[in-house]
Amino acid sequence: MTTLPTPTPTPTPTPAASLGATASVTPTAPIAPTAPAIELRRVARWYGNVVAVNDVSFALGVGVTGLLGPNGAGKTTLLHMLAGFLAPSAGEVLVLGRRPHRDPSVYRQIGLVPEREAVYPFLTGLDYVKFNARLQGLRDPEGAARAAVARVGLVDAMDRAIGTYSKGMRQRVKVAGALVHDPQVLLLDEPFNGMDPRQRIGMMELLAELATSGRTILFSSHILEEVEQVGTEILVLVAGRLAASGDFRAIRALMTDRPHNVTIRSSDDRRLAVALMADPAIFAVELTESGLAIQTSQLTAFRRLIAGVSRTAGVRLLEVVPADESLESVFEYLVRR
Amino acid sequence: MNSIAIFGEIVRVTLRQLLGRRRTLLLVLLSALPVLLAVAFRMGGETDIERFTRRIFDTVTLTILLPLVAILFGAGAFGAEIDDGTVVYLLAKPIPRWLVVAAKAFAAVAMSIALTGTSTLVAGLVDLAPAGQDGISAVLAQVVAVVVGSVCYAVLFLTLSLFTRRALVIGIGYMLVWEGALSSILPGIANLSIRQYSIGAASAIYNLSVNRTVLVPADTAFLLSGVLIVAALIIATWKLMRFELPGGSD
Amino acid sequence: MTAPRGDSTGTRTGSIYDLGYRHYEGKRNGRLYAMWSLFVESLRGVWGFGRPMSAKAVPLILAGLYALPAVVQLAFSSVITQQAAKSGKAPELLNYQSYFADFSFLVFFFCVAQAPELVCRDQRYSVLPLYFTRAMGRIEYALSRLAALVLTLFVVLLIPALALFVGDVLMKPDAFKAIGDELPLALPSIPAGALAALVLGSLSLAISSFSPRRAYSAIGMVAYILLMEAIPAAIYSIGSSSGPNATDKLFLLSPLTSLMGATNWFFGVPLSPNDFAGTLTSAGYLGGAFVTFAVATLVLMYRYRRLPA
Repeated sequence: MTTLPTPTPTPTPTPAASLGATASVTPTAPIAPTAPAIELRRVARWYGNVVAVNDVSFALGVGVTGLLGPNGAGKTTLLHMLAGFLAPSAGEVLVLGRRPHRDPSVYRQIGLVPEREAVYPFLTGLDYVKFNARLQGLRDPEGAARAAVARVGLVDAMDRAIGTYSKGMRQRVKVAGALVHDPQVLLLDEPFNGMDPRQRIGMMELLAELATSGRTILFSSHILEEVEQVGTEILVLVAGRLAASGDFRAIRALMTDRPHNVTIRSSDDRRLAVALMADPAIFAVELTESGLAIQTSQLTAFRRLIAGVSRTAGVRLLEVVPADESLESVFEYLVRR
Repeated sequence: MNSIAIFGEIVRVTLRQLLGRRRTLLLVLLSALPVLLAVAFRMGGETDIERFTRRIFDTVTLTILLPLVAILFGAGAFGAEIDDGTVVYLLAKPIPRWLVVAAKAFAAVAMSIALTGTSTLVAGLVDLAPAGQDGISAVLAQVVAVVVGSVCYAVLFLTLSLFTRRALVIGIGYMLVWEGALSSILPGIANLSIRQYSIGAASAIYNLSVNRTVLVPADTAFLLSGVLIVAALIIATWKLMRFELPGGSD
Repeated sequence: MTAPRGDSTGTRTGSIYDLGYRHYEGKRNGRLYAMWSLFVESLRGVWGFGRPMSAKAVPLILAGLYALPAVVQLAFSSVITQQAAKSGKAPELLNYQSYFADFSFLVFFFCVAQAPELVCRDQRYSVLPLYFTRAMGRIEYALSRLAALVLTLFVVLLIPALALFVGDVLMKPDAFKAIGDELPLALPSIPAGALAALVLGSLSLAISSFSPRRAYSAIGMVAYILLMEAIPAAIYSIGSSSGPNATDKLFLLSPLTSLMGATNWFFGVPLSPNDFAGTLTSAGYLGGAFVTFAVATLVLMYRYRRLPA
């Protein structure tokens, strides 16, 4: 585990994105160009009369992907199916081309960070990671464990019992245990729970770095800003169905029936407002404390428009900020539909 | 060779898990009880094998200590991990499931034998060593009974804990109702009683039965307990291969 | 919408909104009402009402098991009468005074399964502070839970007595006369059942309260009850060949033995030397049962006073 595969350049995410049940977010995978690392084909899972996951298909290659959805959307069920702890009721789940259920040997290539917080409280952090390394049958468990602990930045605390750890440290030691055997696929269920903002950034950087070195990472979250900062690739699960997938800005751009909000600061807001109101693409303009709040139907068209309008009006643009490009608004939109 | 290392690692972690501080203290105290009673007997001048067997081994060790300890460790070996959710760390590994079951069962059985076996041996020697050859045979027979009982109870309730979260309460019910009350009313269920297997297996060395009648002869006892152990281990492996985690709070 | 209390016309000022739920002007029902609520809630919890079927199954099955012999006798009462008439001998029937002695282990098993339900989860999920910051105090909490368990056990203990009573009355030709005859025989079941419910309830709740895990509570109860049966018997037997000795007082440590002896006191039946070794009288066992109840309740209250919340 001490040596990682030579870093390959970050694959450029494909801008293509689509709304709907079936979608593909396969960025060109440098390691296995033919088969995606994770593939779901029309997967459904129900518990008695309750459908947790309903007819979901997607494929993922190298990179970080965020699995989004409100509580109860079926994120954990989906991750458990990928991790082989649940059989799909219908459809096919493939991880590296194999069905993970009832096949323990796939765990050589899968690292799983479960949602539940409990870790053996009596082990030290290093012992716990070593335990994982030994069960993976690694040749040098000690070395691999130390390297993994260092990766998540827990070296200072590694000789303390996990029972004394904070929530954030527990999350990190779980991640260390999951990547000690250098898996090709890393599945994380709510990995940012209980982390403070600084730890969050550290974990996000780690995930990004792991993706850069050719791994497929899927993590779930119900907090949108987490996803926004790590992965631009998202899967949105709503009530068990895949509501959207792809690059989240591209998804946003597809939502044409909903006005985009843009905030502009300029040298003369009032004059700019008058000039903008003449354009049919502009729905509303409001003068606020912090600048002009504008609603428009077409974001790309608006970007071209604003440059021309400000030049002819003789107004200098200080700042143009899309006000609701945050995932939160995208998400709210998808959930409400 | 690698399997052995993995087996050892699972056993090590399971033992540490089963050995919570207060819990262990309680069980050690419980195990010390037959020894204390034996010392009291010795000071009271009793070295009669039968009286010792009836008063201490049968009423305390065989009907209380052994089933309680073995069921607790058996049901707890997986049960505690399933309750906490830490079982995921164990199962998300490329290890054949029979090896996981074997390691868990080994840990539970080892703990049970360590406590009850030591207790039986020491209590027996304190009281029965002066009784000569017969006394030694009786002690050996008691140890055999405890070992057979430990394996059967622990493995049976380990398997049950993979099916229900209330395995321990069912175990206590089995011990109180089935072995305690029903077996005195319906002698026919002796063939389905781990306590009778223990007494039967021990009867190969010495007759430990309080009323002198061994309900399950030694060879049958070994056969039945062997079948029970193998069947339970196979079922546990089968169940663990199909182990499903709940969807979670998601 | 209610108006903000602050000044909202100026820029960047803070405002505190009165959302309307801060003030409670209604009547406050106080501690007793809080205890009553917890008592009702606990009763529902023990029997699994308002919970899924699986939670109802265990208490109902165990209560049913304890009543089963009496109910069977009730169901076959007509057959038994005919048989008795044919053979001319009085049938051997289950009677009020020995029913508890014969089947008490089933009531105890009920406690093992259900007492931890009442107290362990609150500790495991650390919700006790939520109770203690309300009108409810620590002692009130413990006593409410205890009252619910005691009432539950009282019901469980009396069902078979009722079944026996109905069966015995139906077996007689003249029902009204039979009620008059049977009632004095049956009535001591009520105080005896109440005492057993108090002792077993307080004891099992006290032991359960020491572990947040149901499993360990259950093990603790079984270990305690069985050892308190076995240890006195073993010690007493050491010198028993030379007649009763002073160690027979140790039998008072056993809750079940004490209750069996006390039951005989209520029914005014002498203790049979086969079942009760030693020189203790039934009044002695009655006293022992009361002491067990008092000590267990004090331990329970002590435990809740000390519990970190």
